Amino acid sequence: MKNIKSKLAISIVFLFSSLFFSCQENENPNSISQGEMIVEFDNYVGNQNMVIDEVGSTNYRYSTANGQEFNLTRFGYYISHVRLEGPNGEVFIDEMNASADANQIKGYYRVVQGESDTYNIHLKNIPEGQYNKIIFNLGVKEDGIQEGAVGGILDRAAGAWFWNWNSGFINYIIEGHSPASLRDENRLQIHIGGWKNIPSADENPQRFFDNNVEVSLPFDATVRVSETMRPSPHIIMDLLKVIGDTDLAIQNNIHSPAAAVPFVQKLAEAFVVDHTHQ
Amino acid sequence: MKYNLTSRDRLIWPALLFVVIVWVGCVSESDEPKLSLYRFEKPSHFPEPTYTFQNNDVNEKGFKLGKMLFFDPSLSRDGSVSCSSCHVQSHAFADTWLHPFSFGVEDREGVRNSPPLFNLAFQNEFFWDGGVTHLDFAPILAIESEIEMDESFENLVHKLNNHAQYPRLFKEAFGVEEVTGPYVLHAFSQFMLLMVSADSRYDQFVKGDQNALNQEEIEGLLLFRKHCESCHREPLFTDLSYRNNGVQKVITDLGRETITEVSQDRAKFKVPSLRNIEVTSPYMHNARFEGLLQVLNHYTEGIQEQVNIDPLVFEDGKPTIKLSDPEKEKIIAFLKSLTDDNFLNNPIFFNSNE
Repeated sequence: MKNIKSKLAISIVFLFSSLFFSCQENENPNSISQGEMIVEFDNYVGNQNMVIDEVGSTNYRYSTANGQEFNLTRFGYYISHVRLEGPNGEVFIDEMNASADANQIKGYYRVVQGESDTYNIHLKNIPEGQYNKIIFNLGVKEDGIQEGAVGGILDRAAGAWFWNWNSGFINYIIEGHSPASLRDENRLQIHIGGWKNIPSADENPQRFFDNNVEVSLPFDATVRVSETMRPSPHIIMDLLKVIGDTDLAIQNNIHSPAAAVPFVQKLAEAFVVDHTHQ
Repeated sequence: MKYNLTSRDRLIWPALLFVVIVWVGCVSESDEPKLSLYRFEKPSHFPEPTYTFQNNDVNEKGFKLGKMLFFDPSLSRDGSVSCSSCHVQSHAFADTWLHPFSFGVEDREGVRNSPPLFNLAFQNEFFWDGGVTHLDFAPILAIESEIEMDESFENLVHKLNNHAQYPRLFKEAFGVEEVTGPYVLHAFSQFMLLMVSADSRYDQFVKGDQNALNQEEIEGLLLFRKHCESCHREPLFTDLSYRNNGVQKVITDLGRETITEVSQDRAKFKVPSLRNIEVTSPYMHNARFEGLLQVLNHYTEGIQEQVNIDPLVFEDGKPTIKLSDPEKEKIIAFLKSLTDDNFLNNPIFFNSNE
């Protein structure tokens, strides 16, 4: 009997303590100061600012290295798994969460040319310290797909770039028109996606391709994050680094992981940190 | 080391209580009764499910909402077809023999036979070519396909938001103020996840009821295990692989190659489950056979040399499976014992829309 009573007493203590603690927001347990960073993305085509034209436009603003003209009617990319590193071993890993609830999605970002509110990625809860490098994944990895239906910028019904026939997101999307393309409406569509590798076990070739790309960019200077200092690295992305050498007469209709591989190899080089605002 | 039961025992109850309280307090706020009717339960002789239940557990309201969507033709572009147009419960949610290929808006004819829907919680890839890698994403393909419902998923969600009933039902099922894509897909999945077929006479037999199958069926089962089991593996009756069993005389449908982009997968299709095979005629992705005897005759005599032909069914210039006519009859008798009448007639799947 005594044993039961003591069990009960312990249980009640646990009950109240767990009720008390389990639902509390548990912020800054060690009260380490935290700060923020705003990473700005600025898309270019060579040395020209990137401009999005109406679908059907024949105003060809840009041209490839071999003189094929083109314009853009849609352009953008997903960014995830952002990480910051500092000269003294500082590391910040942006929290990731894929959820049906758009408000619970964490760590996924999408830059959509023409929608200026998407150009700045707002990183929060960064431990105070010095940072001189940003690393991010260009695209959406398996952890954003195999959890099932997700919301917000990953919701196909809300305009997410998602393949319905070969499940996965388009990591990097290029759409426009080029007179070099002999498709209807001189259409140009380069959809870069793919999130898994099935390496060949025998003489067979590889099945699928993981076309996520890790982009690692040193800052031009070390910056300091603190409660009062919110630095802002300015990243420039140049589309010509990706398709500048492409023959748009041939490569104008890319819609699968294997077909995207030649472009993927150039993606990491398209990004550079131009300068950093402390 | 001596195992001290009493001291450990003393800690177990508070510890368990703690876990339960944290779990109840922060994870689930469900206040509805847990009716077993609308809960997913793994059949005891089945493998663990692969579906992500942690993100979308089945409950009555979500299930019923998914059912309403499944039977609603207004989801298609012109309001003419619903999911249930090609997925009929009495045919294990495959199409009837009237439609060897799926059909869509404006009577557009599809290119493949509508697969049956059951035991989806145990599969990782969907459709004949396996291009869809999560059950949640399966409806998007059927909705957006030009030869099926021909409606953008974006516009479908827009229609639901402007519907007289759906916004309230989504709020009740998921607590959301606005209908968004993932909750539509979660509702669909909840409806489909409960399509578990594991109660055929074969299932009764393997669970210990020796009288569930007659002598002919038992002999058929043994023949099946000898000749068919390597691909149609129990208890799902598929090994979930992709194979070319030679049903295309001329290869016009590339099948799995469309997804993997390697010619080694040309003309391969997912090995279908054989559960409820009695009611899912016609057979194969191209609906080539109407009867089970035709299927068996294909395996014993019909298969021709072809690229990527599966060595389990064709080797050294001839079919590998050899069956006499009485053996075929026994296998067919056994296959019919895979019909799950409780599933085919389960009233929880009945259309309750107006």
